[in-house]
Amino acid sequence: MDVFTSLLHGFQVALTPLNLSLAFAGTFLGTLIGALPGIGPVNGVAILIPIAYALKLPPESALILLAGVYYGAEYGGRIASILLNVPGDAGAVITTLDGYPMAQKGNAGEALALSAISSFIGGTLAVIGLTLFAPYLAEWAIKFGPAEYFALMVFAFSTLASLAGKNPVKALIASVFGLMLATVGIDPGSGVPRFTFGEMKLYDGVDFLVVAIGLFAISEVLTLLEHSYSGSAAQMKVRTTLVSFKTFMYSLWSILRSALIGFFIGVLPGAGASIASAVAYTTEKRLVDREGTFGTGDPRGVAAPEAANNAASGGAMVPMLTLGVPGSGTTAVLLGALMMFNVTPGPLIFEQRPEIVWGLIASMYIGNVMLLVLNLPLVGLFARILTVPRWLLVPSIAALSFIGVYAVNNSAFDLLFMTGIGIVGYLMRKAGFPLAPVILGLVLGRLMEVNLRRALSISGGDWTILYASPLSKALWILAIVSLLFPWLMGLFASRKGGRGSGER
Amino acid sequence: MKRFWIGGILALALSMATGAAAFSPGNVECIAPANPGGGWDFTCRTGGKLLYDLGITKRPVKVTNMPGGGGGVAFAHVVTQRKNDNNLLVAASPATTLRLAQGKYGNFTENDVRWLAAIGADFGVIAVKADAPWKTLDDLIADIKKDPSKIAIGGGSSVGGQDHMKVLLLAKAAGINPKALKYVPFDGGGEALTAMLGGFVQVFPGDASETVGQMQAGKIRILAVLSEKRLGGDFADIPTARELGYDAVWAVWRGFYMPPGASDDAYAFWVDAMKKVEASPEWVKIRDESGLGPFYKGGAEFEAFIKKQVKDFRELSKALGLIK
Amino acid sequence: MSQQNASHGSDRIIGVLLLSLSVAYGFEARSLEADFLADPLGPKAFPLLLAAALGIFSLYLILRPDPDPKWPPRNVLLGQGLMLLSFVVYSYALAPLGFLLSTTLEMGALSRLFGASWGRGLLAGALLAGALYVIFVFGLGIPLPLGRWWPR
Repeated sequence: MDVFTSLLHGFQVALTPLNLSLAFAGTFLGTLIGALPGIGPVNGVAILIPIAYALKLPPESALILLAGVYYGAEYGGRIASILLNVPGDAGAVITTLDGYPMAQKGNAGEALALSAISSFIGGTLAVIGLTLFAPYLAEWAIKFGPAEYFALMVFAFSTLASLAGKNPVKALIASVFGLMLATVGIDPGSGVPRFTFGEMKLYDGVDFLVVAIGLFAISEVLTLLEHSYSGSAAQMKVRTTLVSFKTFMYSLWSILRSALIGFFIGVLPGAGASIASAVAYTTEKRLVDREGTFGTGDPRGVAAPEAANNAASGGAMVPMLTLGVPGSGTTAVLLGALMMFNVTPGPLIFEQRPEIVWGLIASMYIGNVMLLVLNLPLVGLFARILTVPRWLLVPSIAALSFIGVYAVNNSAFDLLFMTGIGIVGYLMRKAGFPLAPVILGLVLGRLMEVNLRRALSISGGDWTILYASPLSKALWILAIVSLLFPWLMGLFASRKGGRGSGER
Repeated sequence: MKRFWIGGILALALSMATGAAAFSPGNVECIAPANPGGGWDFTCRTGGKLLYDLGITKRPVKVTNMPGGGGGVAFAHVVTQRKNDNNLLVAASPATTLRLAQGKYGNFTENDVRWLAAIGADFGVIAVKADAPWKTLDDLIADIKKDPSKIAIGGGSSVGGQDHMKVLLLAKAAGINPKALKYVPFDGGGEALTAMLGGFVQVFPGDASETVGQMQAGKIRILAVLSEKRLGGDFADIPTARELGYDAVWAVWRGFYMPPGASDDAYAFWVDAMKKVEASPEWVKIRDESGLGPFYKGGAEFEAFIKKQVKDFRELSKALGLIK
Repeated sequence: MSQQNASHGSDRIIGVLLLSLSVAYGFEARSLEADFLADPLGPKAFPLLLAAALGIFSLYLILRPDPDPKWPPRNVLLGQGLMLLSFVVYSYALAPLGFLLSTTLEMGALSRLFGASWGRGLLAGALLAGALYVIFVFGLGIPLPLGRWWPR
């Protein structure tokens, strides 16, 4: 088939010594960059563009380098998330939910290794999907209009119910808080600033990363201080073993399902790694979390978001290459890079510059393998970071968080805001409010509101537009099923139990 | 007599000394008032790189990202904290002037900084799907006049932003009530373009550089370009709105401003530097590769251009009810 | 004093705080005026909905509070307060004092809170600050403030 010959050509392009070393350099640098909280893939790639240009690399090589950084940074973000509870970027937040508890139980090595393997599988499956189905996927992605996005967000929100924990009202409050944070900023539908109180820095809304790092990392630092006083801060035992085959098989289905979910969500412009990892996590929680171990260090809780967000990164390449439309923040930067090298992404790119497209795709396969090869041996090294004494570790977490946020935005305001959110996060944790719904609310809230309003604007106020198309109807059904899921499962479980035991 | 000569020589020496104390750049910084990857970031990085490559600066130009407030945070910072910095350039575009006109930078105005130069521009276009019923701009305008609520226009800016202003200008030139237009805001040109491809909106008032790929593939049709003269390359056969009788021009220029207290020597130096950059073959190459068109205004000419643009935007925004 | 009430106060207090937040938020939302509307809902609708939702949920919290968590004793709160104070000072100090100096001081202070001596803390702080500086400025090309006291 045509695709395979093209792919073979692509491998020819990608397997030259220059491009291979660039791929290696890219993934290595990317991992380092991503490991620093605050500096995510976007910044990493943007920073390297001028360097790539200055090196006078041919376009395919430059792209391979930058894509390597993109991938590497995605992975690097996990390191800080798992070890320190500091999410390196948007896609890493969900990984902290089970990754950090795993590290605290001493299973940091397992978490990191599982993260690497899930990322590899997710990323590779995504590239295969990209290879085989890119044009069809693009056609499918175009069918998503505002009404469909709205329905999708409602579905994503409905999966939130599974994050409820012991007190569903508190989870709801947390998500409403996140939604409220999402409304801060200039309203696109009217140009009016909302809840900014004259503070220009809030015009673009609340910075997601500032909230994530404040909510997770700063509150963690406060918690660790509390523990150190009460003496419950015994030095963690760190098992640096890699993941066992048994654990891997246990997580395999989660990985595969999450990769699928992540890929499709990544293909949709505007929906990226954070949404993908959230939906994958909550879906898996619903499907396989029988004993309620998610959130306490269940390996599947790490495997799912990791597979999903790498799959989403791969998926985001689809609209970028086929439509010339960025599927996420990082692909927007990659797009800028492409244009700087005089490559015009769009439907014709497969015909006009096949060596670039297929070279890129081939390098993505290679990049995935490289990440695995690079990172698995280093897992032991990374995990040892946790053996550093508290008095050094915690201030380092704080310093990294502050510097990560400051280096990018140059704003003391962001740091103060982050501290404030950190206090809120600490109080929330003490009082039993789950943190993840806040993040979900923040990310989904804006998309939900703007798409609802866009749809109504197009229809001139007619609400039926929200379920008019078959696609939107399907999404609504999915959302309703998802909402009723726990109730349905409960129904099945009690029936089974009743029949079996007969004692109630 | 002797005193006259001594005085004269002293005066001459003095004037030569001050003349020789012309500006020479030190550690130059370019602030991009946005996150990495956007237009301002691009302007700073490429501009800065060229300044260094052409030997105009001795050391590489440091690029600082300072997002927030749509450029307002950087603006406030420059005016209040970096007032007299002779080595500071800040990236700007009509997004800056539009926001200044609409009062979105707090109490700051266009008179608070020194406008340096613009070295290139993207241009607005009016695009529809290839299979749309409108073959010319006149067709589209006629249909909009008949029933504005039937045609959804999807742009990448929020209400009052650049893409919105393009259609409002066009409407004004065509005699359509701007408030009757159905404008749907998206998060960036890419999303709006995708929405049009999916049939959810019918018109995309984007920038030329955003539409090249789709146009080459024959998926969209560009009815007009909002420029003074026709563009080259793939756009050579596309009429300008002016040609068709609608006086609407939207040049997304890329340029710089400097702090208000920059010395005249420094300012003159940088204006000259920008002229050199704009004329350099390296810039022409980059410019062409990124889909921008030639556009140069510098120094006093640029200052006048900016002042007029902000005034026009202000009046237009008031007339359209975007600001009070 | 009723044993029942005493051990559920935290949630009740939080509930009251949240309720006032929802009222304040709702009021602010009501004052949003838009001249030019792209859609029939406008900027008010969603926030008002959220305000109502939060109001209802916080009432629930007030009426059905969970048992109190274990709040830390005074000395721990003092430590946390100091930590937060150091964060605020650090945020403001970064620009004038520069990255290297303020980070070193901050890490020294934090280490102290965790039981290390000033010497160790400051040394570790200086090393980490130096390493980060090199990585960010030379490695990534991201400028970090040098501080006003640094000779230019």
